[in-house]
Amino acid sequence: MIYGLKIENDVPKTVNNFLKQLLESGKVEAVLAMQETPSGRSAFPTMISDPDKLDTNVFAPLLPVSTGAMVSRLTKVKGSKKPLAVVLRACELRALTELLKLKQADLENIVLIGVDCLGTFPMKIYSNYPGDEDPTEVVLKGEGEEDMRTACLNCKDPVPETADLIIGIFGTDTGKSILLDTRTEKGQELINDMGLSEFGNEKDREKAVLDIRNKRDEARKAFMEEHSDIIGVEKLLEFFDTCVNCHNCMKACPICYCRECLFESDVFDVEASKYMAKAKSKGAYKTPTDSLLFHITRFNHMILSCVECGLCEQACPSDIPLMDIITAIAENAQAEFEYLPGRDPEEEMPMVVYREDEFQDVGEG
Amino acid sequence: MSEEKEKTKEDFEPKIVGFLCNWCSYAGADLAGTSRIQYPPNIRVIRVMCSGAVDSVYVNRALLEGADAVFIGGCHPGDCHYLNGNYKARRKMVLLKNILTTLGMEPERIWVRWISASEGQKFADTVKEIVDETKKLGPNPMKEKWNI
Repeated sequence: MIYGLKIENDVPKTVNNFLKQLLESGKVEAVLAMQETPSGRSAFPTMISDPDKLDTNVFAPLLPVSTGAMVSRLTKVKGSKKPLAVVLRACELRALTELLKLKQADLENIVLIGVDCLGTFPMKIYSNYPGDEDPTEVVLKGEGEEDMRTACLNCKDPVPETADLIIGIFGTDTGKSILLDTRTEKGQELINDMGLSEFGNEKDREKAVLDIRNKRDEARKAFMEEHSDIIGVEKLLEFFDTCVNCHNCMKACPICYCRECLFESDVFDVEASKYMAKAKSKGAYKTPTDSLLFHITRFNHMILSCVECGLCEQACPSDIPLMDIITAIAENAQAEFEYLPGRDPEEEMPMVVYREDEFQDVGEG
Repeated sequence: MSEEKEKTKEDFEPKIVGFLCNWCSYAGADLAGTSRIQYPPNIRVIRVMCSGAVDSVYVNRALLEGADAVFIGGCHPGDCHYLNGNYKARRKMVLLKNILTTLGMEPERIWVRWISASEGQKFADTVKEIVDETKKLGPNPMKEKWNI
């Protein structure tokens, strides 16, 4: 069912009041949602239990971390005993879905509220947003694309389809009302007694969602075409030339969940004579070693679940535009296995299943 | 480190890293040896418990350090000692080849073959085939790259 949610003051405040109602009614014990820090320079997924401290802005155009990874962190030891509402964007929900498949999160007593994503700015731009304008207002007006992160401009789907409840922006008149789309019973229960009226403009919504998907899809194709020249050893080495082996991309990635990454272990710590042998085999050897090995192997380990949130790119101290190559790698690899991360929580991950009669060209011949 | 000098294409001796599963391909290689079947000495064999245990990191490491080809040998489909390790190995290598294709990094240097413990001749033929094809391909350009 799709309901309308009347706008009082502005969009973020309306959603904040909606979350407040949930808290005050006791339907949820706490809310995990984007809340601006007191300086206003940043916003983080914040766990709020006191309705008076609830000052969320779920549309803050910023992705400092993935809420999906945060839910994993909060629940992987033991699930929540009390009801918790988690507000997240589409890419964060996709990441959470993948983490659930990997048994890295527990949704017990958690209700997932998805929000339409209008795109986000890099942390550096958001925290010092030029002019007097509020970045949230800019994206709600449908502007600011020139500053947005490439991951957002090429987003596969900004609508959090698998949430229990979707707070929708696309296809609504944000001056009057936005929409609440209940997808599951859990979601329906949240709003049953709120006396909301039906949204009524389902057609507008459908068209707007289709439009934004087509727009992103086209942008994505053009983007991959534009960067299709990063191919071959020479280009690849040039691309990763400024990598300092800090592994921030791995740490920021919501999918890289291993407690101890192989590349953070002491596997690569060997005696000097081994390094000498390496140098002798090629005449010279750069340190730190194995930058390219790290990146290619990391792609192998996470790319089938890559939700293309672009947090790796945002985390890079050398500003390597990782999404320039990851977009195409993810597209091709996921197509090979007909798998779309986050599409369906029931869908099994390609690396845990197999068919006897597949990929016959590898292995025989 | 062997001291063989490598000349230009066709004329060079490829270095092949082979990951052979303990139960089938390694035994197949053993049989080739005990049967005194001749095959090119270009392969360096690493015994693994299962082809499914060959993570992409090992294959990548070999290729980035300059191996001219990597060979992963496992039990025939349906014959895996651990029931399904070879199916998983196949998926892993399909993924690796896919990624290397997108990156333009010569996926054809990766070979996957199913060789049983009784197929000494197939092992020898496979090594010969890999050597021949790799010679056509030329040396791995990564041999020269010190800034990886």
